[in-house]
Amino acid sequence: MMARTVVQLERVTKSYGAVRALDAIELAVYEGELLSLLGPSGCGKTTTLNVIAGFVEPDAGRVSIDGSDVTAVPAYRRGLGVVFQSYALFPHMTVGDNVAFGLRERGMSRRDAATRVGEALALVRLPGMADARPQQLSGGMQQRVALARALVIRPRVLLLDEPLAALDKKLREDMRAELRDIQKTVGITTIFVTHDQHEALGLSDRIAVMNAGRIEQLGVPREIYERPATRFVADFIGASSVLTARVLDGQTVELPGGLRLAVDLGRPLEPGRTVELIVRPERVQLGGAGGNAMAATVASVMYLGDHTEVRVTLAGGLRILAAVRGAVALNAGDAITVAIAPDAFLVPGERPAGEGRG
Amino acid sequence: MAGRLVVAALLLFMTLPTVVVIVASFNATAILSFPPQGVSLRWYENALTYPQFRKAAVNSVIVTAASALLALPVGTAAALALVRHRPRAATALNAMLLSPLVIPGVAAGLGFLIVAAGLGLLQSRWILIVAHVVLVLPFVVRSVAVSVANLDPMLERAAASLGASPWRAFRRVTLPLLRPGLFAALLFAVIVSMNEFVVSLFISTRVNEILPVAMFTYVVNYTDPTMAALSTLFIAATFVVVFVADRLLDLSRIFQIGGRH
Amino acid sequence: MRGTARPSGLPAFLLLAPSLLVLAIFAVALGALFQFAFLEFIPGSLKTGGLTDKNFRAVLAPQYLRYIWDTVVLSAATTVLALVASYPIAYALARAESRRLRSLLLVLTLAPFFTGAIVRTYAWMLVLGSSFITWPVKLLFEPSGVLVGLVHFSMPTMILILAAAISHVDTTYERAAASLGASPRRIFWRVTLPLTMPGVASGSLVVFAWTFSAFPTPELLGGGKVKMIANVVKDLALDSFNWPGSAAFAAVALVLTLGLLALLGRAIGTRGV
Ligand SMILES: Nc1ncnc2c1ncn2[C@@H]1O[C@H](COP(=O)(O)OP(=O)(O)OP(=O)(O)O)[C@@H](O)[C@H]1O
Ligand SMILES: [Mg+2]
Repeated sequence: MMARTVVQLERVTKSYGAVRALDAIELAVYEGELLSLLGPSGCGKTTTLNVIAGFVEPDAGRVSIDGSDVTAVPAYRRGLGVVFQSYALFPHMTVGDNVAFGLRERGMSRRDAATRVGEALALVRLPGMADARPQQLSGGMQQRVALARALVIRPRVLLLDEPLAALDKKLREDMRAELRDIQKTVGITTIFVTHDQHEALGLSDRIAVMNAGRIEQLGVPREIYERPATRFVADFIGASSVLTARVLDGQTVELPGGLRLAVDLGRPLEPGRTVELIVRPERVQLGGAGGNAMAATVASVMYLGDHTEVRVTLAGGLRILAAVRGAVALNAGDAITVAIAPDAFLVPGERPAGEGRG
Repeated sequence: MAGRLVVAALLLFMTLPTVVVIVASFNATAILSFPPQGVSLRWYENALTYPQFRKAAVNSVIVTAASALLALPVGTAAALALVRHRPRAATALNAMLLSPLVIPGVAAGLGFLIVAAGLGLLQSRWILIVAHVVLVLPFVVRSVAVSVANLDPMLERAAASLGASPWRAFRRVTLPLLRPGLFAALLFAVIVSMNEFVVSLFISTRVNEILPVAMFTYVVNYTDPTMAALSTLFIAATFVVVFVADRLLDLSRIFQIGGRH
Repeated sequence: MRGTARPSGLPAFLLLAPSLLVLAIFAVALGALFQFAFLEFIPGSLKTGGLTDKNFRAVLAPQYLRYIWDTVVLSAATTVLALVASYPIAYALARAESRRLRSLLLVLTLAPFFTGAIVRTYAWMLVLGSSFITWPVKLLFEPSGVLVGLVHFSMPTMILILAAAISHVDTTYERAAASLGASPRRIFWRVTLPLTMPGVASGSLVVFAWTFSAFPTPELLGGGKVKMIANVVKDLALDSFNWPGSAAFAAVALVLTLGLLALLGRAIGTRGV
């Protein structure tokens, strides 16, 4: 599938004093997709969005929209829709006037604008709220107004900066689903900033994982989760255990404590190399008799409702995190067996042979 | 309890002169006495018809209106620059803009007098207006700066993302949201200019003098309660203004008092 | 927004230009003052002679030095009394539970601030004169009467500064002290007062500096008998038409005031007054 590129960033760089907020970012966003920018605080997500929106001028590099260079075009002539984390609803205007703002700036008559405002408010399930004041609305409703205000101008691209961060958990999950519905209905190209991996995995067509001003990996959610390109990505997406091991032969590795594990990555490992093996918690079986069964001690048990997190210590002192559906009858100090299937291991990235040796 | 009594006594001390002036203004005789010998409104009539007061009141209104209307845009622009753009020299600029607050009035007054004499402006209201703009500007800058600092810069970005040019965003978003700050600034400007005395004394003649200067001359030369009547009018007007301002603006927020409990 | 984040609207220098023009006019006036301070006074004329330092030597002559000394004494006494009288009101204001009470206290505090110097001073002439209240000692046209007027004049400023400082002290500290067994009196001396010392310092310096150049209060309540620096400046300039001599005096007052405020800035950092 070779979709049309709508937004393109080429070697976009931006520094604040000594801080390199963006380091030669390359990114193409395709027609109609929802792309998430995911990463820890301060990694440059907002800056990326601001460069695209035209709020921040990059030090170097090019921003294009539909193939034309907009790097020097001011924000108000870019025709993009932006939803801010704080919503930024105009407090001195009614909901209706907020949503109508962009239409009126485009010279639309009050009557025509009112019709479009009505449609937009219906789309975000706030019909008839045009006369309310933003301050009278709940956080979730303000969020919808902000979305309606951005969508009503039929922007080329929708930019969302942590739009759900200010909502409580339940509302956030509802809004997440609704946002996805609306985006699909309208079919608008969307860039979505978040530091919540569940949000990114659940919403996105593709995810760009960012770290320290760079994009570490760009791919569809499954690829990001199942084949992390770097240890950073593996660590950031899902709490995983990382084991450093030495490769004995194509199928076997040895842990520092002398423990040997069978590993099946679908390709042979290079003997003598040191590798980082990543294990997702749900792939660790407790009391299992599958492959790589090992003796372990329970270090801690944390019941989280739908699942339980169990931290176990292996013979050599290595710690592994396991996740089990529902509750378990285990206590700290219990001796148990853990099993990790040989095909449960991930090795981040395709590193050149020899790297990490020693 | 003892604490409350102390506070009450101190508040009494603060309000005592006001009370005495109001009582005196209704005194029937020219020689003040207490308790007053009869009640009369003749001093109000006197105050309102005394020609020099009327002339000075007209001057006051013109000087105050002109200086407030000049200082408002000038100070607003400065506040926007200081808070939003944070020029390199922001601290120094801020200190300079607030400096008229701390320069002794007699020094500023004599300086303006020398300049006015040199330019032949001694009978003119212009020299008073210019001096008042200088003295009122710090109040305008401070009030507006507080409002600008409280303004979410994201709102202007939101306006830009919706297609508003910088000027349109200023007109439709920034300016309406700064309205309370601008109102407070105007209020301060009017009150400060209306009451300015020391600097004005130096650059006033009988032709261009403003009300406080005329009142000063009257107090020095006459002892009858006409001044008490005029003062009472002044006090009443001020109370109304301060009360309305507190209602509209919540003065304790402007002066950063209370609220942390 | 900083750096190359596009700030909306006009560039900073255009926004600042009008106020810089206003400041320039003010600078010209102050410049003229300093220039005159170094020019020779020709009695009976507004014309001035050549450069001289005679005006400053006159300031230091005993009969004028006395006024400076009186000014210092009156300012210091005013500061101390205003501080003591303002703290309780400021405390009540800062810790008022209801907005209504706070508003009432604030309006009572601010109203004299806004009524203007002449009305307030005239009011004190009535109070201190003998027609209303029979005072055991003479107050009007005496240093004591001037002092009362100056304290009253300074209190709103002092109260506002102190109240802001007290408001910034988290009541949790006071509650913590109480939970540790401190009596209200001990809490005040050991917690509240020490934590509001910056406010006390800045309030005192501001009041001292402002009182130092007070004019209408000593002019009217002093009745020509009690004089502070500003009254001498006015006498020389407006009664004797000795602008150079007056300018020298005013320049001294200005330098001393700014010196004091610089000290203030040094003492409490640049948090603004
Ligand atoms: N206006 C600015 N001035 C100075 N530094 C800035 C500015 N904006 C961003 N930075 C710096 O650039 C880096 C990237 O910031 P950015 O806001 O893009 O991060 P983010 O990924 O959005 O983080 P968060 O999740 O906390 O919102 C940070 O180190 C930040 O401190
Ligand atoms: Mg951000």
